[in-house]
Amino acid sequence: MITKRNFLKAGALAAAFSLSATAVFADALADITAAGKIRVAVPQDFPPFGSVGADMKPQGYDIDMANLIGEKLGVEVELVPVTSANRIPYLQTNKVDIVISSMGKNAERDAVIDFSDAYAPFYNGVFAPADVAISGAEDLSGKVVGVTRGSIEDLELTEVAPEDATLKRYEDNNGTISAFLSGQVEAIATGNVVAAAIIERNPPKRPEMKFLVKNSPCYIGFNEGEPELMAKLNEIIAAAKADGELNAISQQWLGLDLPAEL
Amino acid sequence: MNYQFNFEWIGTYWPVFLAGIWMTTKLIAVGGVVGIAVGTFCAWARSLGPKWLGIIVAVYVELIRNTPFLIQLFFIFFGLPALGLRLTEVQAAMLAMVINLGAYSAEIIRAGIEATPKGQFEAGASLAMSPIQTFRHIVLVPALQKIWPALASQVVIVMLGSAVVSQIAVEDLTFAANFTQSRTFRAFEAYFVSTAIYLGLAILLRFILIQIGHSIFATKRRASR
Amino acid sequence: MSQIGFWDILTNLIFATGWTVLLSIISFIGGGILGLILLFARIGKRKWLQHVVKVYTEVFQGTPLLMQLFLAFFGLGLMGINVSPFLAASVALILWTAAFLVEIWRGCVTAIPKGQWEASASLGMTYVEQMRHIILPQALKLSVPPTVGFSVQVVKGTALTSIIGFVEVTKAGTVLANATFQPFTVYGLVALIYFALCYPLSLSARKLERKLNAAH
Repeated sequence: MITKRNFLKAGALAAAFSLSATAVFADALADITAAGKIRVAVPQDFPPFGSVGADMKPQGYDIDMANLIGEKLGVEVELVPVTSANRIPYLQTNKVDIVISSMGKNAERDAVIDFSDAYAPFYNGVFAPADVAISGAEDLSGKVVGVTRGSIEDLELTEVAPEDATLKRYEDNNGTISAFLSGQVEAIATGNVVAAAIIERNPPKRPEMKFLVKNSPCYIGFNEGEPELMAKLNEIIAAAKADGELNAISQQWLGLDLPAEL
Repeated sequence: MNYQFNFEWIGTYWPVFLAGIWMTTKLIAVGGVVGIAVGTFCAWARSLGPKWLGIIVAVYVELIRNTPFLIQLFFIFFGLPALGLRLTEVQAAMLAMVINLGAYSAEIIRAGIEATPKGQFEAGASLAMSPIQTFRHIVLVPALQKIWPALASQVVIVMLGSAVVSQIAVEDLTFAANFTQSRTFRAFEAYFVSTAIYLGLAILLRFILIQIGHSIFATKRRASR
Repeated sequence: MSQIGFWDILTNLIFATGWTVLLSIISFIGGGILGLILLFARIGKRKWLQHVVKVYTEVFQGTPLLMQLFLAFFGLGLMGINVSPFLAASVALILWTAAFLVEIWRGCVTAIPKGQWEASASLGMTYVEQMRHIILPQALKLSVPPTVGFSVQVVKGTALTSIIGFVEVTKAGTVLANATFQPFTVYGLVALIYFALCYPLSLSARKLERKLNAAH
């Protein structure tokens, strides 16, 4: 009996080790090619980068970018919807191969994952209706500001907002936007293009840019120690910038040409 | 996967967890006391109150018991402002917990009341007690004593259910885990720690409730002798 | 961006309800099977097995379902098992459901009067025979109403899987509330859908209980 149990235990351990072994020595790019499929984390609550239409299908800048990557790699694309808060754990726990989720770069993230070159422009700001007087971080004093937990805006505002400003951190952008539109917070910190997409849908409250928090372009994220994958992704991004494909995506979703600094 | 467990972040983030525990405690203290009060009133209305009130209460109880707490919370926080009722996230969470526990405890307490023999009412009347006195001393106290363990379990269930209030940005114990993991990317460890704390809170809360039950009903029994 | 009307909201919600129903059924059946296995361990003769099941139920009933979902979702991933939100949700809900069902059913078994055990033992029945012919058939009858009643909790429990990113009716609701700017309508509809799923279950649990009480 005891030997049998130990045997089972040993078997389970062996299985665990063999799994870890494959994960450690794997080359993500080779795995993707072999599987004929790339799993991409995309937002579904973050127009115009990723949202759903009337048919509940994802659409947006990040989705087009994911499809572009898949096409250039010659593999099928599996879109996995994520939120700002859980996209890095998704990557770490190998639920996705890459993250294309309007993700900005910062030191904390850089410590745990790797980034490609930038593929989209993004400006974070604080937004509020016209009648709310805010012109800089110090004006947030006494105000209630909604942010999406774990986003660049959250991390930046936590640093610069005055002591008596209240940050309300929502699980995902749905929560942040709903809180703003239902009047639960006076202002939100989000991307310029996100605010523009809200205004386009004629909301009860119009979020206007009050000040810029950070110029924070979007990068593709992937696990550390994948030089082949990084080189391939950067090659695809550079080619798409050169031949105007990326500019076309930018025109379609942001209504702007790609800025020169990208 | 060569994942190394790492709990070093506790050194930096423990105040967030402490604040989260305090918020969860406050929520269940208010939700528990007011919720049971609402439940007692509803139990009275359904078993002994006027018929029209009984019907309203029955609809309330069924609506709440047959919909998820998360949806009740979203409806109160995001939906009600459309009707001009705007609550802060903590108020909304407390209201949702009171409404939820109120509906469940109403059914539990009603079961206790209906198990009270009819003769007790008559006995109360023959002692020249008013209907309210009869209800309080002869019906409610023995009923509560009978169902106290079930009520205690329900309060613990509502406390555990309150984990979702972080979805409307209440900074409770679950928020502490979410906040920490969004900064440290130590998702599993953060949730593991908060789960262990919840287990401790649940055991402690149950213990306290049972002690409260002992002290209330022990003194009542002595006084009635 | 396309405009989303009332009928779009409703049809999308009803489509997503299919996932809620599927997940509920998987959790309930899976939890029932696991619960039955645990029940035999819990009421069996081996002391250490009884303790294991006791700790199991204490942990799963004493921690939030939301935490169990998070741990299943991120924990299984760390163990090298690649899990989708659907799989993680199913695993967590099955474990959670089993913890409650085993306690409900144990209550039904212990509710059988001691005299029945003694009488059947005096007839020379073995433990297994006693269980099979005397105790379990009666316990089964007792267990139907609370089991049906608990299925309501399972359906409602699936709402939490929206938080780990599984797109069932609650998640569809949050996405649609944001896309339409009508949270009152959307969450109202979602609540009605859950009510339509749960109320018949609650009602039949109550009817079954009344029938059982009348029979005794």
